[in-house]
Amino acid sequence: MGFSFKPWLLSVMGAAMMAVQPAAAQETLRIGAPLPLTGPLSPEGLKQQRGYDLWAETVNGKGGIEVGGKTYNVEIVYVDYESNTPRAVQTAERLITNDKVNFLFAPFGSGAAKAASSVAERYQIPMIAATASSSSVYDQGYKYLFGTFTPNQTLTAPLTNIVADSGQGVKTVAIYARNDLFPLAIANEMKASAEAKDLEVVSFAEYAIGTMDHASALTLMLQSQPDWVFITGYINDLILMRRQMADLGIKPKVLTMIAGPAYKEFIDATGPLSQNVTSAAWWHPAVSYEGKDLFGSTANYVKAFEDKYGATPDYAEASASAAGAILQLAIGDAGSIDPTAVRDALAAMDTVTFYGNVRFDETGQIDSLEPPVFQIQDGTTKTIYPEAVKQGEMRYGDIQ
Amino acid sequence: MTVRPIYVLAALLLVAFLPLVGDNYVLRLGTMFAMYAVLAQSWNIIGGYAGYPSFATAAFFGLGAYAGAILQGNGLPMPLAWLAAGIVAGLFAALMGAAILHLKGHYFAIASLVLAEVLLEVTTSWTSLTGGGMGLNLPVIRMSVEAQAQLFFWAMLGLAVLTFLMSWYVSSSRIGFALRCIRQNEDASSMVGVNTTFYKVVAFVLSALFVGSAGALYASWVFYIEPPDVYSVLTSVKPIVMVMLGGAGTVAGPVIGAAAFLVMEEVVWRNFLSIHSAVLGLLIVALIFFLPNGVLGFIRKRKRTGADHSKETAA
Amino acid sequence: MVPAAIEPTRYSMLYAQILLNGLVLGGLYACIAVGFSLVWGVLNVINILHGSFVVLGSYIAYFAYVHLGIHPFLSVILAGGALFALGYVVQAGLINRVVGAPVLTTLVLTFGLDLILNNGMIVAFTADYRTVQLAHPLGSTVVGGLVLPLDRLVAMLLACVLTVILYFVLVRSSIGRAIVAVRMDREAAALMGVNVKRIYAITFGLGALMAGAAGSLLSLIFPISPLNGSEFLGIAFIVCVLGGLGSISGAIVGGLALGAIQSFGALLIGPQHGLTIAFVLLIILLIFKPTGIMGRRGYE
Repeated sequence: MGFSFKPWLLSVMGAAMMAVQPAAAQETLRIGAPLPLTGPLSPEGLKQQRGYDLWAETVNGKGGIEVGGKTYNVEIVYVDYESNTPRAVQTAERLITNDKVNFLFAPFGSGAAKAASSVAERYQIPMIAATASSSSVYDQGYKYLFGTFTPNQTLTAPLTNIVADSGQGVKTVAIYARNDLFPLAIANEMKASAEAKDLEVVSFAEYAIGTMDHASALTLMLQSQPDWVFITGYINDLILMRRQMADLGIKPKVLTMIAGPAYKEFIDATGPLSQNVTSAAWWHPAVSYEGKDLFGSTANYVKAFEDKYGATPDYAEASASAAGAILQLAIGDAGSIDPTAVRDALAAMDTVTFYGNVRFDETGQIDSLEPPVFQIQDGTTKTIYPEAVKQGEMRYGDIQ
Repeated sequence: MTVRPIYVLAALLLVAFLPLVGDNYVLRLGTMFAMYAVLAQSWNIIGGYAGYPSFATAAFFGLGAYAGAILQGNGLPMPLAWLAAGIVAGLFAALMGAAILHLKGHYFAIASLVLAEVLLEVTTSWTSLTGGGMGLNLPVIRMSVEAQAQLFFWAMLGLAVLTFLMSWYVSSSRIGFALRCIRQNEDASSMVGVNTTFYKVVAFVLSALFVGSAGALYASWVFYIEPPDVYSVLTSVKPIVMVMLGGAGTVAGPVIGAAAFLVMEEVVWRNFLSIHSAVLGLLIVALIFFLPNGVLGFIRKRKRTGADHSKETAA
Repeated sequence: MVPAAIEPTRYSMLYAQILLNGLVLGGLYACIAVGFSLVWGVLNVINILHGSFVVLGSYIAYFAYVHLGIHPFLSVILAGGALFALGYVVQAGLINRVVGAPVLTTLVLTFGLDLILNNGMIVAFTADYRTVQLAHPLGSTVVGGLVLPLDRLVAMLLACVLTVILYFVLVRSSIGRAIVAVRMDREAAALMGVNVKRIYAITFGLGALMAGAAGSLLSLIFPISPLNGSEFLGIAFIVCVLGGLGSISGAIVGGLALGAIQSFGALLIGPQHGLTIAFVLLIILLIFKPTGIMGRRGYE
């Protein structure tokens, strides 16, 4: 039992240290962040943590947030929910009632964000979701939930337009999706996007979470000789599948995988097999915005991230940092840390950040981003769309 | 020397006054305690009294959670959904028990473990009914946060008390006698006329009924469920650890074990964030080597050696 | 599931390919399960650690390849040796102390140990998925219209070779004969002068060795992460019950059966149901024929 007093002890020590500080007394702004730091989603949870940490350190390095005559240092209170969604809901509540956080960052993904959003709503604590894209998360009529990912179809539609209008004779699509909230939702959007452009969906199959072999499903897919193979899942699924596709000699004209190729780990793990894999994400380091947030330009953000972690940020990490930056801007607009005032400031927000234009629609989901489409070419990702940040031309074929 | 069941009952009733002193966080812990007490006491019927190594708790819990959630989603009032979920789990246990209770040892353990796996896969695949991997949201309850926290706390505690009364009754009744005979020597009990199959199925059903209701209550409480959570293998293992911690085959042991386990879990979780599952593992290993008969067994042994000692000095 | 567009002549090719996929997978499954089966059969211990042992073997192969350039096929020796040592110590130091205790005790003990090992691996290696990216992969070749993924095939063949070696060790060597003797009758073996506890430790070590070797071979095929431990354990369970417990031939038959069931299940019912079918079959087998396909009575 003695251990449980440690947080107490720390805060007592912290108070003692503050007392001797000559500078003006700083208060602490606490933001709760339930994250999947262990369990199957832990790679994603750790990414979000990197993004939040970078924001918090940058804020505190610049002297904290000044508002209403007070200066606040930012403290992010992390709790591991073990990739277990109901536990995420519990931790969100615990963070509010026990740790007395001022604001919340949502747990990872659409499912958990949706589940935890009702807690935020009940306690009227603004919650920013950095990794929830499905519209069904936001259309519950909640007022305290905001999200930094645009709806799923914004990922599939631009890519479908590019491929369908390319004149490369891409007529048929095979879709293979993980039977899970986000991957399945995006596969369904892909089906809709393809049908809207008169592409024939020759197969639509699902696989279970934890599937360790895709040979049969891929063999079957090979039978219909699709021009375009569209696969959704998480990075481990996609690495395994990419290798099995190569083993079985499946070489479509276009190979799209979501979400994984945006991560550097995907290129590292698949090597030459990553050649010409297309994907789409909500953000890419190649975009260029002059933001009004603490990071300023996109280039500044990328540099700050590289200095701290020695790696290029991906969309999940950037979105987490953006969640912090957006919250900070909203506190500034509101002129206080009152939850309701900050919530109103978020709802009214219309600004630019390193992450892109930020404006939330009436459901709280961002509607001002243009998610980039990109392709891995010779081991690096090249943006294909939108035109403003284009780095290369879309390539067809040459899938190993 | 054992802890008298009546004391445990009194303690459980005393816990009911928790809302007077605690905030929502304390109530949440209280609700968790009551839920653990239901699971541990239920497992104790089949695992403790009858000595069958059942890993089916997660199957009953998950089935109850989904049954309750689906029924509530279709407009059944909450308390009726909880009751129905218990009945669904009980029926499932009766059917499956009749099929797998002739297995012994590891074979039974695996068969019971696989029940949860099959239900997990079926639940994940049956998207139209269960929402599949997307999970299921429960209807929103129009009630203040505090009132909800109290409602679920008292409901879960009520269930724990019911489970306790069931366990107490079983212990002192013919069923408990039959189950203990089965644990000691099943073949012999069968020969002297104990209908072993019947009593084993009864024990399996009793170990499922309240767990099913607890699952449904849990679903209403967290208002979002997903298959990997409610069918988690940990849901099967934790009650076993609790019962071993408290003392298997006793009436009071599972309740004491549930309380002790909750305290340890919460302390570990709060203080050893990145290694909390390893610390939990260490606790389990330590438990097996240093406390093989649980807290009650330990107390009993201490008392006995103490008594022996005093006798010696008197002589 | 089968697209209507396929003309009948291609059906046989499709089925042949699916069968081949299933057999290659099944050979690997057998290798995962054989050590688990051995420990269960001889010690009457269900080793929950087994899945994490496989993962640890994969990590050894991964680091040996990345830092020393040793091909995972060769790391089998390295990973097998390291895991044998670990398994021996775990059994001699911990599990031997409770080996006569009820089923539940050993189960819960290995579960606790697994929590420690798995969490330890997450702390040491993170949960990120890693892969062995060979400089010179063998690729695949087409024989008679069938696609043969060569790295997988060689891994599967090596898995079979290892399994056969284990079989001969058990049948021919004096230690192997002692293991078999303990499996058949512990008391009699003890009376004959066999040091039962030592044989237990060696058996557990051999089980871990096979797990490590399997992990090393699998490092070429599956992304490596501590999170895969439970999947491997599940596979070991199913294979053992399918094939029948405690015999090497049982593990091979069970592994191949599971591979084929999953492959054809994916074809006929849909890939998302592959696991469901395997588990349902497992329950049915347990209820009606708990001795497995091979029909031999397990150690009780």
